[in-house]
Amino acid sequence: MAKRSRGLGVACALLFAGGVPRLPAAPLGLPPVPIPSDNPQSAAKIALGDRLFHDKRFSSTGRVACANCHKAELVFTDGLKVSEGIHKLKGTRNAPTVVNAAYMKTLFWDGREPDLEGQSQQPFVNPVEMGLKNHDPILKIVRTDPKYAAAFRRVFGKSGAGITMTEVARAIASFERTLVSGDSPFDRYYFAGDRRAMTAAQIRGFEVFVNQGRCVSCHTIEQTQALFTDNRFHNIGVGFKRIRGRENRLARQFIAAKRGGANVDVTVLTQKDMSEMGRFAVTENLTQIGAFKTPTLRNVALTAPYMHDGSLETLADVVDFYNNGGRLRKTDPVDDFQSGGIRPLNLTKRQKADLVAFLKALTSPQYARRGGQRTAAVGAARRERGQP
Amino acid sequence: MKRGKPEGRCAAAGALAAAILLGFAVAASADEFTRQDLERWQGEYMAVVKKGEALFHGGLKSTNTVSCDQCHPDAADIHPETYPKFQRQLGRVAVLGEMINWCIMNPLQSKPLALDDPRMVALQAYITFERRGVALAPGKH
Amino acid sequence: MRRPIDRREFLKRGGALLAAGALPMSLVEIAFGKDSGREGFTFAYLSDSHITHVRGREFVRNWDRGLIQAVAEANLLDPRPDFIMYGGDIAQLGKREEIDHGLEILSGLRGEVRYVMGEHDYYLDLGEHWRRRLGPDHYSFRHKGVQFIVLNSILTDDDWTHRRWPSAAERMHQMARLDNPQGSPFMVGEAQRAWLRGELEKVDTDTPLVVFSHSPLQKIYKGWNFWTDDAEQVQALLKPFRKVTVLYGHVHQIQYNQIGNISFHSVMATAWPWPYPQSFVQSPSHLPKLTVPMDRANPFFERDGTGWQFIDLHTGNADVHYLLPDNRNRVVAYDTAAGHPVDREYQDPKRRIPPQTRY
Repeated sequence: MAKRSRGLGVACALLFAGGVPRLPAAPLGLPPVPIPSDNPQSAAKIALGDRLFHDKRFSSTGRVACANCHKAELVFTDGLKVSEGIHKLKGTRNAPTVVNAAYMKTLFWDGREPDLEGQSQQPFVNPVEMGLKNHDPILKIVRTDPKYAAAFRRVFGKSGAGITMTEVARAIASFERTLVSGDSPFDRYYFAGDRRAMTAAQIRGFEVFVNQGRCVSCHTIEQTQALFTDNRFHNIGVGFKRIRGRENRLARQFIAAKRGGANVDVTVLTQKDMSEMGRFAVTENLTQIGAFKTPTLRNVALTAPYMHDGSLETLADVVDFYNNGGRLRKTDPVDDFQSGGIRPLNLTKRQKADLVAFLKALTSPQYARRGGQRTAAVGAARRERGQP
Repeated sequence: MKRGKPEGRCAAAGALAAAILLGFAVAASADEFTRQDLERWQGEYMAVVKKGEALFHGGLKSTNTVSCDQCHPDAADIHPETYPKFQRQLGRVAVLGEMINWCIMNPLQSKPLALDDPRMVALQAYITFERRGVALAPGKH
Repeated sequence: MRRPIDRREFLKRGGALLAAGALPMSLVEIAFGKDSGREGFTFAYLSDSHITHVRGREFVRNWDRGLIQAVAEANLLDPRPDFIMYGGDIAQLGKREEIDHGLEILSGLRGEVRYVMGEHDYYLDLGEHWRRRLGPDHYSFRHKGVQFIVLNSILTDDDWTHRRWPSAAERMHQMARLDNPQGSPFMVGEAQRAWLRGELEKVDTDTPLVVFSHSPLQKIYKGWNFWTDDAEQVQALLKPFRKVTVLYGHVHQIQYNQIGNISFHSVMATAWPWPYPQSFVQSPSHLPKLTVPMDRANPFFERDGTGWQFIDLHTGNADVHYLLPDNRNRVVAYDTAAGHPVDREYQDPKRRIPPQTRY
């Protein structure tokens, strides 16, 4: 495929450009990264996007950048239940990893943006994230800061008022498209045929994943690649207890607010109840109340806590949740709107442990190295907030 | 056979010929079958098809009483002619028996069958019988 | 690689989804301040839950969850539909426990519910428990200028019903099997046709007529009882009326048709989907040519291929909005220019998508 060779060509160029190592476009276990035709990759654009991603000036307090919630050392998450923006204002949702987000067909937990470019623009103007009233402060900086001005001219051939959020978004997306990782022990075992790449427990856990665990239909593995996400939206029963019995009223309130001009991005991140509407907030489809996008499981061992509200702390908690049929405790009620893919699994203790072991086999080598660092970083983040 | 040759040699040749023929006859009987054989074997096959039909229509005695025919009347929408194929629910290319087991484990909430279990064979006999005449289309989703 | 979908298209699709069953038409009109100037109303329609008793207090989880979800979603409709119909087959084997358990779940519906008899409710005790709990199995009512008629269209001939089987349970099992070579075709029957004739005599032919029936009141595929044996006679009784809509259950799939002045629409099951009859190749069948099939279901998602619907009668003809969890919502609406129901999105053959392919 021409695209693949071009991608690899670019990747090779990147590998030698600027001394910053980047991965090839198609890591083991993944297809080539989809690159939109109106935003091709280049080393300079990626570097620009990297700088924009880390620029704290793009916030009302001057202290919050994309990287605050998407820290490289935490596999581009922040280790928190829900993210915190300016003034440590809390949002309602857990920060998804940027790694392999390039393969997502929609962005955000509710898919309200169709691509990385679109997604990148929202947090800047969300009151609990970067808190800007509009994008003008960003444009002012990128148009006048000499380093930015030079970079935009070089990358896009644009300067002054010709630099718009489109260019900013494209650069950020371009950087994000280099954040792909495969080549995990699972990939080497399954796609490269290395029978010793996974432990016996992990191999048993793989079997559970595909069979009794019923994971593979949403967290997809295929014959030659594994995205670990079907890119669809499912209500698995997380967080519904909060709004149980009030779904009617909330749905009505939400639609009324939306008709009245309320911004979906602001509403779902500032109101915990509304956040639970999930995909319904975007499509208004009555069958999608509380449905959230299937995240990838790659590197999942390092991206705790889990679920759209960060309510599940460990992988063992997650496996228990699914094993109970989408409930914290087997005695809890079942969400009326719960996906038909969720049901009690009757896994044995051993199967559950094996499944957790398998999930740990999905960590890519470049992040596995940082595992120790990650634990330390998460610990620091939690201590800072007074958590054990 | 030319006349006038010494009878012993004729007889020997004849005996040899007969032996050869017999030898071929012994070898040939491995592949030889009559119309009666065909009828009988077809009957044996149909008996297994019937067993499969019974299993398909509740005979599996699933733990939750659900039976295959509830979603697949007359074994419709199984498409045996498309196997082996990539099976989404298994994440890989699979054979029909594996998907039958997926259904037994999931909607029927019961224990899977060994692929050579007589019940699995009977189910496949029935399913393919109801789809007779449809051209092979391996891999078709 | 082309960007798979551009932003404007993405946002527009959000709007298109709005039309495809996300909200009742009347809410859309209110929201956009349109004054339609007509007394339209909606009603919701749930059907074919097939609640199945396993043992003790255990019921088949899959069918229970299907009904529970449909009830929960139907309760989200805002503004509320005027009433709710239930299209038949509450139970699977007609057992009291099944009917009672199903009605318990249905009692969660916010609104007035009326019921249609299904064969799975009927053939164990000939409808005795059903009628005790729900009243007559055929009746009519009027609402906002529309005449509604409910038929028990799953009867069959006397011999099969009363003399053929050694026990009631056996009779129920025989009727429960869809592909039963020893089955018997559904019918409305002479007595009820006479009743229907009487009811219709009281109704002006300009009054929109909506008939609720479990069997299709057409002849689609006899092998699976997608069939009403006296369909032509029933249709003849409906012929004099200008706007007639028949809504039927039983088939567990999207079907629609137009025969003369009568529009036919199937309703979905909350329990499980059935194959389209052409996928059984050993026998010919007659699915209405108009029908664009629903998207194929992935059986991993137990709600896929199931659903419920709300029906908008703002024109006196029906717009049927199908809500299909884990699937693609659909709208099949009467098109005045074409003179028959039309799938709003996919009727044009060029607009078909791969998941609609059946073979």
